[in-house]
Amino acid sequence: MEPISIFLISILACLGSGCANDVADDVSASSYASVSGQSAQMGPKMDVNLPDKVYFEFDNFDLGDDAMDTLEQYIRFAKRAKAIRLEGHCDERGTREYNLALGEKRAQSVKEFLIVNGISSSKIDVVSYGEERPDRLGSSESAYKANRRVEISLY
Amino acid sequence: MILRKILENLTYNFLQIDMRLKIFSISIFLFSLSIFSNITIEISRGTEEPPRIAVVPFLYDDQSISYLLTNQISDNLSLFGEFEIIANSDLIAFPSSPEDFFYNDWRTLDIDYVVAGFISLEEETSKFIVNYFLFDIRQGRNLLNGTARSSEDSLVLSSHKMSNRIYKQITGVDGIFTTKLMYILNPEKDKYQLNICDINGDNEITLFDSPEPIMSPDWSPDGKKISYVSFENGNSEIFIQDLSSGKRNSLRRYPGINSAPVWSPNGNYLAFVSSRSGNPDVYLYDLKTEKISRITAHYGIDTEPSFSANGRKLLFTSNRSGTPQLYEVSLITRKISRITFDGNYNARGRYFPDGKNIVFVHRSEEKFHISIKRLGKSGLKMLTETALDESPSVSPNNNFIIYATKDAENGYLAGISLDGLAKFKIPSKIGAIREPVWSPFLN
Repeated sequence: MEPISIFLISILACLGSGCANDVADDVSASSYASVSGQSAQMGPKMDVNLPDKVYFEFDNFDLGDDAMDTLEQYIRFAKRAKAIRLEGHCDERGTREYNLALGEKRAQSVKEFLIVNGISSSKIDVVSYGEERPDRLGSSESAYKANRRVEISLY
Repeated sequence: MILRKILENLTYNFLQIDMRLKIFSISIFLFSLSIFSNITIEISRGTEEPPRIAVVPFLYDDQSISYLLTNQISDNLSLFGEFEIIANSDLIAFPSSPEDFFYNDWRTLDIDYVVAGFISLEEETSKFIVNYFLFDIRQGRNLLNGTARSSEDSLVLSSHKMSNRIYKQITGVDGIFTTKLMYILNPEKDKYQLNICDINGDNEITLFDSPEPIMSPDWSPDGKKISYVSFENGNSEIFIQDLSSGKRNSLRRYPGINSAPVWSPNGNYLAFVSSRSGNPDVYLYDLKTEKISRITAHYGIDTEPSFSANGRKLLFTSNRSGTPQLYEVSLITRKISRITFDGNYNARGRYFPDGKNIVFVHRSEEKFHISIKRLGKSGLKMLTETALDESPSVSPNNNFIIYATKDAENGYLAGISLDGLAKFKIPSKIGAIREPVWSPFLN
């Protein structure tokens, strides 16, 4: 038989029976490495006997009256401290990366208050944890309120 | 094509679909076989009857090998309730190739497809050669002749590849059975893990663990690297990790937050957020030259960038209007336009690969729902009903969205098919699970 006829016959056979799709895979698994991180170490804190947190409203970074009252008491200690760490936090509502940014805005509000009151900006360290480190677990209004905070540590 | 069809067919009264789901939903529980995995998948599916398929145990002397393959293929095809599997006890014949396959045998059963095959051992390499076939009973056609060559320890992966081939042949849509999910697990206080697992919850592997928080994982488009944010050095810092070697590189850290890294579709850039200028803005990092360019400059919060499929635009969240809303910026003209106008919280957007639709988090009546929107059209459509839904990620075949949510106990992952027919949950037995990212197609 002519090659062309064989070709035609195989096409016709395909049309008649429906031609199966031919596929081949050579399979080998990929490997994944596992890595561990260490814990961030901070030095000993200065003992000031003051509330170490100020609180905020939802999606807001303005200092309220209570927060300003607390911060005012901090000023004389803050002047003596070698370093000041301000940690901004959020409640779990809203998106994580937006909350990371919002936590920083909150910590910056506190930083600006301290600067206006004569504290050198060079010794203030601002960190945001967003909603990653809640102070209180759970999805209640009281937990949310406790978690929308800036934590103040003097060193 | 499929995506466009689905999205165009999505009527804006999703509630109807949902009612149907509630009345007729069935639940299937698939318990993970791996002892390491702590994830289970639970499916609820609506009324539409899925195609019925028989997977005949492949012909081979060692039945354990045969069942390993065919049980996995059956589990895959029924994973999201898209196919109904005929039980082995109901099989009326055990064909292994087109030569001994008779369509009439199967027509007495109300059945749509049959998968059959035979296995042989390649002596010189000790590899298994699997020949498998897909038959369409209603049309009387052999749709697929497949071959897979695999060592014994890759048989499960091999069955996932076969499942992809079978799924694609029947549905026309790429199968996702070889893709993976990456997520953050917080098993206990001060313990964070960045993990991956197969989409059925099996083979959970920890890529990185730390006593400090981990955030914002993303896959490189080739699936070989990942990026994420780690607080291991006392502040947010962006890392790139090679998956096979575990080698990690940190992006040069500037003061302030360093967050939300996402890969460009060509793998050459990371978009990320830095507050080095005093407030959070979106930047581009060129992975080859290590040069950084600033994309947004506004005194408000700009964050959560995401690349369009062609790499020419970024979607991002900004509170420049007073509340978080989604904006687009052209990377060519740097022109910025606002995308969302409904409500006072729209954030963490991701484009669909068609470039016409986005998925994001929308707040409605104090609840946060996964929502989708067609660009250039007004309105949006909420897909979920739980209150704290976040971090949506689209499967690479566009058929599913996976996201994180939370009940009174803990954070868990949930998913929804874009046709609204399948909903699934991936709860964690240990601690909170969040920030899921669906991998690209993996080889």
